[in-house]
Amino acid sequence: MKGISFYLISLSLCFFISCSGLQKKELGPKDLKIEALSSSIKLLSDDMGLLKNEILKINAKKPSVQRIIVEADNFWKKGDLSNSSSLLERALRIAKNESAVYLRLSHLRLEQGLTKESSAFASRGLINKEASAWEVVLLSIYTNNN
Amino acid sequence: MKIKLTLTSLGLICLTALIVLAIAMVAIINSKVTNKLEGVLWTIPAKIYSRPLELAEGSRVNLNHLEKELKILSYEEVSGSLNSPGQYSLRGNILNIYTRGFENNESEIYKLKILNERIESIRRRDNIPIDLFELEPLAIGGVYPSHFEERLLLNSSQVPEDLKQIILAVEDRNFFNHFGISFKAILRALVRNTQAMGIQEGGSTITQQLAKSLFFSSEQTIRRKIKEAIAAVLIELHYSKDEILLAYVNDVFIAQSGRRAIHGFGSASLFFFGTTLENLSIDQKALLVGMLKGPSIYNPSRNPNRSLARRNLVLEQIRDQNLISKKEYLNLISKPIRVIQPSYRSISKYPSFSDLVVLDLRKNFKERDLRTEGLKVITNLDPVIQDLLESNLKETKKELVKKYGKRLNDLQGAALVIDSFTGEIKGTVGNIEAKISGFNRSINALRPIGSLIKPFIYLTALEEKEKYHLSTILDDSALSVDLDNGEVWEPNNFDKKFHGEVPLYLALSESYNIATTRLGMEIGYSKLNKTFDKLGIKRNIKEYPSLFVGAFELTPFEAIQAYQTIASNGFSSPLSSIRSVENENKDLSFSYPLQIEQKFRNEPIFLLKFALQQTFIDGTARGYSKNIINKWNVGGKTGTSDDQRDSWFVGYAGEYLALIWLGFDDNRKSPLTGRTGALQVWKKLMNDLDPLSLSLKQPSKVKFEWIDSADGLLSGRGCKASIQIPYIIGTEPDYLPLNRRKCRGQDISYKSKVVSKIKEVIEGKNERN
Repeated sequence: MKGISFYLISLSLCFFISCSGLQKKELGPKDLKIEALSSSIKLLSDDMGLLKNEILKINAKKPSVQRIIVEADNFWKKGDLSNSSSLLERALRIAKNESAVYLRLSHLRLEQGLTKESSAFASRGLINKEASAWEVVLLSIYTNNN
Repeated sequence: MKIKLTLTSLGLICLTALIVLAIAMVAIINSKVTNKLEGVLWTIPAKIYSRPLELAEGSRVNLNHLEKELKILSYEEVSGSLNSPGQYSLRGNILNIYTRGFENNESEIYKLKILNERIESIRRRDNIPIDLFELEPLAIGGVYPSHFEERLLLNSSQVPEDLKQIILAVEDRNFFNHFGISFKAILRALVRNTQAMGIQEGGSTITQQLAKSLFFSSEQTIRRKIKEAIAAVLIELHYSKDEILLAYVNDVFIAQSGRRAIHGFGSASLFFFGTTLENLSIDQKALLVGMLKGPSIYNPSRNPNRSLARRNLVLEQIRDQNLISKKEYLNLISKPIRVIQPSYRSISKYPSFSDLVVLDLRKNFKERDLRTEGLKVITNLDPVIQDLLESNLKETKKELVKKYGKRLNDLQGAALVIDSFTGEIKGTVGNIEAKISGFNRSINALRPIGSLIKPFIYLTALEEKEKYHLSTILDDSALSVDLDNGEVWEPNNFDKKFHGEVPLYLALSESYNIATTRLGMEIGYSKLNKTFDKLGIKRNIKEYPSLFVGAFELTPFEAIQAYQTIASNGFSSPLSSIRSVENENKDLSFSYPLQIEQKFRNEPIFLLKFALQQTFIDGTARGYSKNIINKWNVGGKTGTSDDQRDSWFVGYAGEYLALIWLGFDDNRKSPLTGRTGALQVWKKLMNDLDPLSLSLKQPSKVKFEWIDSADGLLSGRGCKASIQIPYIIGTEPDYLPLNRRKCRGQDISYKSKVVSKIKEVIEGKNERN
């Protein structure tokens, strides 16, 4: 009986420790390898169109930035990369911590054939504290593309 | 008979000659007319603007800076309600701004609620909430043709109909019925002038006034009048009435500002009211039209009373012609005259910044296009930062002269402030007397950078993580280096002392020369060269060991470019002064996209930035509170060249990176070090800016560890002389001296505490068992 209670105490403590560890764990850019991601992520990284659609779903936190992003997306959808880029840069000046902007700039630069810049925007976006786990995953795809 | 014949032929010859001369004169005038109306008139200088200030809901705002910007834009603070564009009021945390409008942005009243330095909400005058609006940009200069005529070319649809009517009512009521000359008007003027025994009234039509400007002369002679009349008739022959009126609106001379001649209603509107023509009220238009009679005597800035009387006379004339009602007239004449102070008088408000803009423009535009195509150049300049930079540089010089005496009278300086991440230039000064144009030290003064070179050496070392980390012990004892020429070079520290073994981070924050020289020699020139290349330094290094203590020359512009990559966590962006360029019709548009490239991994940069922050904690830039250091996430480096000929400081705080250089043009010695000179300017500037740092993640492969500041071995929070510094995981020291085990114990993490507790429980149970 004593053995069982000791075992249970140890088990619950171990569980507690592992949970506290999970809470504190933050995703870093290099923690993610495309190979280790799920098949859906792989699909995204292989299909630029699908990835772009996913990027367009990411909203900014600030309403003012979101409004500019919507305008930029409209230009982007029409194939006007230059105006779209100018608007995204405007959004970036207002808020430098919006992953929605970094993701778009990463993809847009890729479409412009600027691979290094695409990767740089993604890497820069990854060091923002506010990036959500999903945004980190998407940004990581661009750093791996380079 | 012979005489008669001769006289006749002579007469004929004279007549023919006169006809030929007249034809030649007409041909010459005709050529001038067409040249002017199809050439010079359309040479529009490029206009340079600051960045427009964007005010967004939820964004941080410094109320002092916002008010300063409104003042720079000539906004008037009022205590009551806002009743005309260009006014603002501040009551508690509510700021109301009546914008003047600019291009697509119409004039509007915005109500901003500001709480805890943030814009809580923005509402329009109809109480509809909005999330973002722009203040108009500040005109800061132009690229002028040799005649220095400033124009803003308008097409017919951009000229308000009421303005045309006011012009015609005042200047030429019979415009649509004459052929360029109005004999009725000439006769009327002749009678009045004869009666008054002087020139009291002109009889010129609008076409004649346009013709008058062809001759660039204001002399009132019969000969010129004849030329004018011929030109006027020719203009009427060549162009339609609408085209003539449009040319007049665009060309008429309205004011002089320094060397600049303000031509046309479009540029006059911006010059006097800071907004485009469509935003002007009737009284403002009447004021401009009134100035045509005497641009100097009716200039509202110089002679407000005369200008007011003249404006009211114009309003009276348009009332008499039923263009406005009596009631409107009474209302309009009761309005005071409000004009803005010209943001700059001659060529540029900020000559050093304009130098950078023109240099950048020349990379993509021909000189002729810059002077003639009417390009609108939106730059990255922040007028508040620029003004603070100018005033702080000047103020610090005053204090230094007071402290060190007249020997600093000729002290010069240069400075740049950029956005660390984007590389956008927010302000620059190339002369302590910032309004003087000429030798621009920020881009042309090539000076030894002293210890500003050290972070480049340490960064090269930290990139070799297997070999160097922040607590790697460096040797700062006496050093003799045999040079190739047979001489021996012995570097010395600024304090003339040797410090023995010192950890790497301390050698950098204290700027030890000998330890750095040894480190540089260990690394070698080749690796350092690669780092220079990645930092954007294009100048070749000379392979002498004195390089490691700063015997290397850069301009302030080049030096801040190199530091931009460090401040921006390894991401390099070329410095840029321009945001966009477009012409009047917007059919030519050229943007300067943000360029970014990752040049260094996050980890070594993170370590370097830690050491550069130590400079502020207990190094050469010490003196700041921990709160400020954390709030600004500050870091920087002092630099002093041999014999204190150059005083440098470069440092980042929040989103800004600023570099200051002080020294003499003739390279003489000064009593200033980087700390006592340039740093003082930087401090004042950043105190004024009070920037907020971005919240960025610590790289996942970096961890902090407590070490002993003397030997670099493991230590703990509770141990004496311990410091917590970052390591790339796997490079941290692993040896904990016995005498530190107890004090290190206080530093164990929460997780370790739980593990210990389990161990205790298990061990305790076992003992009881």
